[in-house]
Amino acid sequence: MGGDDKLSMQRRTFLKIASAAGLDVGCSPPHAPAKLYSYLTPPQDVIPGIPVFYRSVCRECSAGCSVTARTREGRVVKLEGNPDDPISGGALCARGQASLQRLYAPDRHRAPARADGHGGLSPAGWDEVLREVAGALRTARERGRAGAVRFLTRPEPGSAGTLQRAFLAGLGAPPEARIVYDPLDVPALRAAGRRLFGRDELPVFDLGAARSVVAFGADFLETWLSPVELTRGFTRGRGRVGPERTRLAWVGPRLSATGVSADVWLSARAGTERIVALGLLRWLLDPGNAVPDLAPEAGAVRRLVEPFDPAAVEDRTGVAAEELALLGRELATRRPCAILGPGLGATGSDATDLAAAVQLINHVLGNVGRTVLYGLDPRIDPPAPPSALAGLVADMAAGKVDLLFLHHADPAGTLPPQLGFEDAAGRVGLVVSFADRPDASSRVARQILPDDHPLEAFGDLTPRAGLVQIDQPAMRPLFQTRAASQALLDLARLLPLPALSGTTDFHDYFLEQTKDLAMRSAGPKGDLEAARRAAQERGGWRFPASPAAVTLDARGLRPFPLPPRPPEGFTLVPFATPLRGPGTAGLPWLREIPDPTSAISWEPWIELSPAAAARLGVETGDVLEVGGAAAVELAAYVYPGLRDDCAAVPFGPELLRLLPARWEKPSGGLDWLAVRPVLRKTGRRVELPRMSVGAEPEAEATFLQYVSAASPRARRPEPAEQMYPPPPEPVHRWAMAIDLDRCTGCQACVVACYAENNVAVVGPARAIEGRTMAWLRIERYFTPGRRGHGADFLPMLCQQCGSAPCEPVCPVYATYHNPEGLNAQVYNRCVGTRYCSNNCPYKVREFNYLDPDFPYPLNLQLNPDVTVRSKGVMEKCTFCVQRIRLAENRARDEGRPVRDGDVVTACAQACPGRAIVFGDAKDPASRVSRLRSDPRGYAVLGELNTRPAITYLARVREPA
Amino acid sequence: MSAPAEIRKAQALAVAVQSRLGLGHLLLLLLSFAAVLVGAYAWAWQIRHGMVGTGLMRPVAWGVYITNFVFWVGIAHSGTLISAILFLFRARFRTAVYRVAEAMTVFGVMTAGLFPIIHLGRPWFAYWLFPYPNQRHLWVNFRSPLLWDVFAVSTYFIISATFLFVGMVPDAAALRGPAKGWRRTLYSLLSVGWRGTTGEWRHFTRAYLFFAALATPLVISVHSVVSWDFAVAMLPGWHSTLFPPYFVAGAIFSGVAMVVTLLVPLRKALGLEDVIGPRHLDMLGRVILLTSLIVTYAYILEFSLAFWGPPSAERATLIYRATGPTAWQFWIMIAGNSVVPLLLFAPRIRRSPAALLPIAVGVNVGMWLERFVIITASLANDRLPYLRRVYHPRPVEWAITVGAFGWFFFWFLLFVKLLPAISISELKEEAGHAGTPAQMGRSGD
Repeated sequence: MGGDDKLSMQRRTFLKIASAAGLDVGCSPPHAPAKLYSYLTPPQDVIPGIPVFYRSVCRECSAGCSVTARTREGRVVKLEGNPDDPISGGALCARGQASLQRLYAPDRHRAPARADGHGGLSPAGWDEVLREVAGALRTARERGRAGAVRFLTRPEPGSAGTLQRAFLAGLGAPPEARIVYDPLDVPALRAAGRRLFGRDELPVFDLGAARSVVAFGADFLETWLSPVELTRGFTRGRGRVGPERTRLAWVGPRLSATGVSADVWLSARAGTERIVALGLLRWLLDPGNAVPDLAPEAGAVRRLVEPFDPAAVEDRTGVAAEELALLGRELATRRPCAILGPGLGATGSDATDLAAAVQLINHVLGNVGRTVLYGLDPRIDPPAPPSALAGLVADMAAGKVDLLFLHHADPAGTLPPQLGFEDAAGRVGLVVSFADRPDASSRVARQILPDDHPLEAFGDLTPRAGLVQIDQPAMRPLFQTRAASQALLDLARLLPLPALSGTTDFHDYFLEQTKDLAMRSAGPKGDLEAARRAAQERGGWRFPASPAAVTLDARGLRPFPLPPRPPEGFTLVPFATPLRGPGTAGLPWLREIPDPTSAISWEPWIELSPAAAARLGVETGDVLEVGGAAAVELAAYVYPGLRDDCAAVPFGPELLRLLPARWEKPSGGLDWLAVRPVLRKTGRRVELPRMSVGAEPEAEATFLQYVSAASPRARRPEPAEQMYPPPPEPVHRWAMAIDLDRCTGCQACVVACYAENNVAVVGPARAIEGRTMAWLRIERYFTPGRRGHGADFLPMLCQQCGSAPCEPVCPVYATYHNPEGLNAQVYNRCVGTRYCSNNCPYKVREFNYLDPDFPYPLNLQLNPDVTVRSKGVMEKCTFCVQRIRLAENRARDEGRPVRDGDVVTACAQACPGRAIVFGDAKDPASRVSRLRSDPRGYAVLGELNTRPAITYLARVREPA
Repeated sequence: MSAPAEIRKAQALAVAVQSRLGLGHLLLLLLSFAAVLVGAYAWAWQIRHGMVGTGLMRPVAWGVYITNFVFWVGIAHSGTLISAILFLFRARFRTAVYRVAEAMTVFGVMTAGLFPIIHLGRPWFAYWLFPYPNQRHLWVNFRSPLLWDVFAVSTYFIISATFLFVGMVPDAAALRGPAKGWRRTLYSLLSVGWRGTTGEWRHFTRAYLFFAALATPLVISVHSVVSWDFAVAMLPGWHSTLFPPYFVAGAIFSGVAMVVTLLVPLRKALGLEDVIGPRHLDMLGRVILLTSLIVTYAYILEFSLAFWGPPSAERATLIYRATGPTAWQFWIMIAGNSVVPLLLFAPRIRRSPAALLPIAVGVNVGMWLERFVIITASLANDRLPYLRRVYHPRPVEWAITVGAFGWFFFWFLLFVKLLPAISISELKEEAGHAGTPAQMGRSGD
């Protein structure tokens, strides 16, 4: 090479390049990261793009379900049930899944905080806050006022509870200083257990064994006791064919979502469920009815319920004698059965009597020990009756409390404000809260020691005898939070507290506490570490436990008095749902997803029956002033599933303001039925955010089919000729079957879909406009039943039609049929003509009217496998195509075909009722293929010949 | 008077009319431009924030914008009908009105063409609807009626604009003579060197005939294609083979009514009462009456077909239209389209501008509502009752609609000021053939 042409750059060229580069630098965005680092030493377990699963525990209610946390690149993106868990069986309810939004709540306390003296909180350092709290504790101890310390906590049946007790004992506080409070507890059932069987515990219900279930206001498919477990058991019975199918009767003034699943609704006057139960008991024990195989105490019990003859019952409750007899006959023949109660809406001033009546029926029919199991409650850290809080508040008001700890107990947000908790808190020297985010009670706290989310910390929980769930962290804490147990240990070190001086780290404490369990599972010569690892992987330890035999305590048998006829006028019936219960405030998914029966989201409401509404001249949307313990304004919703003498209000601050702080004596539970509301029209109207605003004429729901248990066969139209050849589906045709007889409308699938697919939450204003983005919705249709009113749920999602109307009308091929039978939607290609939505007979396509907003840190929850859609494009259910691809890739890596069950969509995974089955329709052995040819199977709007991939199995209903 | 004198008079008239537009015209022009600005602002807001400002929701995904599209395509129809079809049929009454109708067609299509873009969720990708070669091998879906629309509307625009331009060549040459300054340049350009030789005239008349022959099938096809947007969908209330003829008749109906709406004030403003006489209005009135009867027949047919068979979703949708929460729209539409035009059976009303104008405006309102009812009421009454919801247009949609009217009138007002609103050459021809312009109306056809 010659020396002349080795560098042909001229001065001019150099200047050109230099100036262009300079311009480039000038144009580069100022927010670009200054430095980029790659993994030098990649963290263990993290392979980008591959999910890692950890087992943990759901702490949203006291059921204690074990969960599987799916993590991606070090953060949890989804919660699912744990299939190895005997309680949840792999399902997870709406609330449990929304726990993720507690982890990523934008309003989470990100650091400790203390009162700034102006009614606000200012962030502080851990050392500082702990020193101050320790100082206050030291002062209390030195002045001999350790007894003036109170620790209000949720139930902690595990090492956290042990630590709390040890901490207080070390401080010198009496055991009563620790008050355990659970807003979802059923104290009446505990009281009835004490009275009848001498057992201070909650029974466990095995509904899978029951052939008939009667629920006295017990919303066991929604919030009652252990809803996922009860739903699983109940729907297992629903899956039995023919006469063995479990039948459900719902007793109560309001048709709840649980009531919608019932075969019979006994619409009893509010607060008279007890009379119905006792009337039923009397009918069963009436020698004239010749019910076989009654418990030996039948005669003695019979004498207690003598006054409850059918006529008296009908007079008091409005339940006709023949309906009661029909129910009695059914229970007499369909055994074992299970009677459940009382739920929130039946918990009045006689709740314990109702619970006792319910358990007496269970006893005389021989259900106790078969479907109603005592002896499985671990009786570790049981909640105190809520009336104990009245004592606490009185002590606080009297200045007897110097220091109050609030540990995930929110009396101000779950009990009537009339209790006066907030006022009394003003007389407390120092209120310390471990709240992870602001709640009604921690408003009064002057020190916030933010707890880790259960997915960020270690712990253990014993929800059932022989069942220890391990709470395992699935990610590092997002913020400057610290596990409450660790904070207690830190306080113990600062005080110092000799009793707890041995441990400084809660994980060590946890290991110490669970050592016995590990040793027991490892066996005498086993490897302790391996046993721990196995338990952590599985989600916990499972040891055999069997129910205890119980006998009726004759001392508990007292005659039941027959009350007079209740006075005329409205009764306020409260109800809770998975979306609206204690502790659900501020979780966007639970607020956005509409209530299953009213289809209302975001706002509270008051329900009136059509007749009552007509009498008051009220329509849906009219604002009523409701007079109770305090006056509250609520928008009316006209609900056909309600008695004419009731007004129903969902759980929330409005309901609590209406209620007086009145306790049911024997159980110490709140009297939830104490209000006879005064309703007054304000003349104002508001638009309620409702997914369904129409009047829904009943006769038009012709696409819903019913079959009888005796001949379960749905109508299927003959498929018509097609102009185009069927699409080629060489390997797979993904398909789904939805059993409408198992669907309980619990919305777990909807939340799962939101979480899995990054579905945007749009807020109340957009919900009013009908622009929610749910890919899967549960439609509710009012349908006249055999006796009285009924309703049906219809989960509706993209049907992935074989001959899809959306596909040919898209001008740019943004939606097309893929070779696996999916109607793929290409967001990048979509220009937003919305023609596909118009042409979709199921209207399951959602248009992005605006850019979605995922405020930090909610954006950390986004599933990296799914695109976040922008404004102007259509989106819809994809059958969780990312899960299909993951399973297919995994199968290919392992050199095998995709097996049935490899792909589970998010909705199918979450469903506690196991109503949704997903699989490959081309595999004749797959479960979905078998269900597609089930005689109950039909396609919704099948006459349109769209050849949907979803087969609905018709609900079983006796002919009218 | 002799024929040459008449011809000169026609020439003088054509030149004079534009100077008769004074302050009122300027104010109207400014007003319509202001409306354009309002619409442009609304559209910019919509692009910035998304379709959230509209009243659209599940299940009603199409609303005012598609209504406007169909409405303006319909308006654009009569121009071609009057200039091409009536030309082929040698209906001489068209002479006085066809230029206005043609201009209306071009501006109507220009307005209509905006709406498919405005209604897109991502209008910045509107060009994806054209099948252009690209390295990603992305292609358009020729099965989609929306794509057919793209071709139908763009073809129609090209042909009608060319037709207008070609027809104007001799007139531009006629105006070129007395004009000065930039006007002279404009007319020179438009007249493309026209000198009026016999050879040029021979070519011109042949070309005009061919364009007329070419444009005629488009009158039928464009609105048939537009109707397929609905007829091809499987939505009850849309899915009907009745739609193409029904839409074509409706388009002519609304288009002729729009011609009347524009002509009656225009003849006053331009002082063309002599040229556009009662005879012309009478003829237009007859066309309105005829198409009104066809449209009414289609309404009757639609209902009777739905009530013929067993109860169907279609029947439910039609009942919903007539009795549902938006029934008032349906009944205004019936009044404007089917009932009031029956007055046109009376010749006195047909010949009276004062009576014809409100009837024509009523038809325009009725036809806009017809499209609105077909689109939104069919969607609102969803197959799944759970989702049924009534659509209410929102301010941004109204603002864009107002902007569209502004856009149309802006161009139209500019046109009548700058270009010959009546055909000078054909007027001269008439004059040459028939002696006096006053007689033309009576003996022209």
